[in-house]
Amino acid sequence: MVLLVLAARTAPAQGITVTVGPQFALASYREVASGLRYQGTGFGGGASARYRKLSAEASVVRLTLDPAAGGTATSGFTATEVDVWVAYDLAPYASVEAGFIRRTADPEFDAQSVGAVRIGARSFYEIGPGATVLFRANYLAAPKFSGGGHAGFSIDLGLGLDVRLAGRLHGTAGYTFQRINRKTNPGGTGEIDAPIQGTVARVGLAVGF
Amino acid sequence: MTRHLRALAWLVGFAAPATAGAQTVQNATLRRAQQAYDNLEYRQVVSLAQAALRERLTGAERARAYELLGFTYGALDSILRAVDAFKQVVLIDPERQLDPNRVSPKAYSAFDVALRQVLLVRQLRIDSTSFVRGRGAVPIRFTVTQPARVVTRVIGTGGGSYMIDSGAWNGQVNLSWPARLANGDPVPAGNYTVVVEARLGQNAFSASQPIRVSHGSVDTLPSLTSLPGYQYLPETEVPPQSWRPLGLAFLYTGGALVGTLGLESSSLGSSSKRELAVVGGAALVTGFVMTLRKPAPRPAAANILYNRLLRDQIARRNQDIAKENVARRQQVQLTLVPVAKPSGAGPR
Repeated sequence: MVLLVLAARTAPAQGITVTVGPQFALASYREVASGLRYQGTGFGGGASARYRKLSAEASVVRLTLDPAAGGTATSGFTATEVDVWVAYDLAPYASVEAGFIRRTADPEFDAQSVGAVRIGARSFYEIGPGATVLFRANYLAAPKFSGGGHAGFSIDLGLGLDVRLAGRLHGTAGYTFQRINRKTNPGGTGEIDAPIQGTVARVGLAVGF
Repeated sequence: MTRHLRALAWLVGFAAPATAGAQTVQNATLRRAQQAYDNLEYRQVVSLAQAALRERLTGAERARAYELLGFTYGALDSILRAVDAFKQVVLIDPERQLDPNRVSPKAYSAFDVALRQVLLVRQLRIDSTSFVRGRGAVPIRFTVTQPARVVTRVIGTGGGSYMIDSGAWNGQVNLSWPARLANGDPVPAGNYTVVVEARLGQNAFSASQPIRVSHGSVDTLPSLTSLPGYQYLPETEVPPQSWRPLGLAFLYTGGALVGTLGLESSSLGSSSKRELAVVGGAALVTGFVMTLRKPAPRPAAANILYNRLLRDQIARRNQDIAKENVARRQQVQLTLVPVAKPSGAGPR
């Protein structure tokens, strides 16, 4: 993040537009069964850069997830999620993108830590002066879990909004829905479903350079 | 009565040109001859004018004396003598012209006959002119009163002489001089004299007109910033206000909602919609605000293309102008003006 901020200072001279800013996050997380559900909030930061048809986006958020009311979870955990995308515009309103996701849980075994490669596409449209909406769908390829197992189907959907509020100040909002069909084989007794499902909403401000 | 009036008008016709130049006469005898002419005492005019011619007279007075004799002989119907007198007038003053509306037909025809019997080069005229080397010429006009071999030359103050024309001419002659040397260069700047020499047998006559030739640079053309009648069009246009922003916000938010609902795991149950409500709500509010706001200007493709064509056209024209200016900077603007004649022409 610090590097991005430093890079942002030299970006305009090279025709690169960069935004950097803090984010507040809301999250919900479910794992294995409907009773094991968590809700929480957190803080993080996001940065984006664009050079002609090439764009990149990164966000880091640290979430404090507590057991949700009515659930069976007894203790919360802290999750740190890093998302990175690199995209190339195929049209004025669509681009292909690739990246990765890494979410770690602390304490380590209170929830699954996940790492996966993202491959997908996104559509974006400027709905007004300085206001852009975005919808993305990513396939999470080759996911790795701290508790082992594999996932044949993992997907990540996203909705994004970027509004230039005044001058260089932008308001940003992003929503991600993640579904990972994890399967495990504990003790070699046969595969069982251990799905993971989470949603994160990020709302923040960003400064453009 | 009518005959008297006609005679009076006739006499006035003779008198008018004679009195016109009477004020310049200094010689007393010639003044008396003028007075006698004014009093219609023609016999006395003849004797007094001839007496004056035997005295010391200036050129103008001598021409006046002969002119008085010409008019008087015309009035006395002695046409041959009138012609002889007028011959002397035009030899002294070749540019002398009579106004046919102010002199009698007899006197005018005698003057005209006199002109045809004397070899003269008259009314040498060179107009002020200015032109680029090789793209113009100096017009030279003169009148030769008899068929003659006429040589027209330009003589420089430094001694250089350039032939303009040599040919047999009679009457009005129009020539043009390109003011170029044999190698195509313009004649050097300076003072010149255009000399017209007419020769017919033993008779010869020349007339001259000094001129001044100066060199200057040719004006270059300014570069174009626009084409007359064509204007640049705005390259952006504001689209009409519509519900499109809100519609797009609905579409994108709806996509996220449908995707979320469709992909939710049945075993995990329905996920929290709080997060989607926050972000989707923000997108819908933004879409609604953008619907109310004036739409952002968008590039107008047709106008951009038109402006590009216009810029290309102007650039092409400016390239042509630049080439033309390069050529013009190597050219010389010749300006030629006639200057006051230091001395008149005369018979040789």
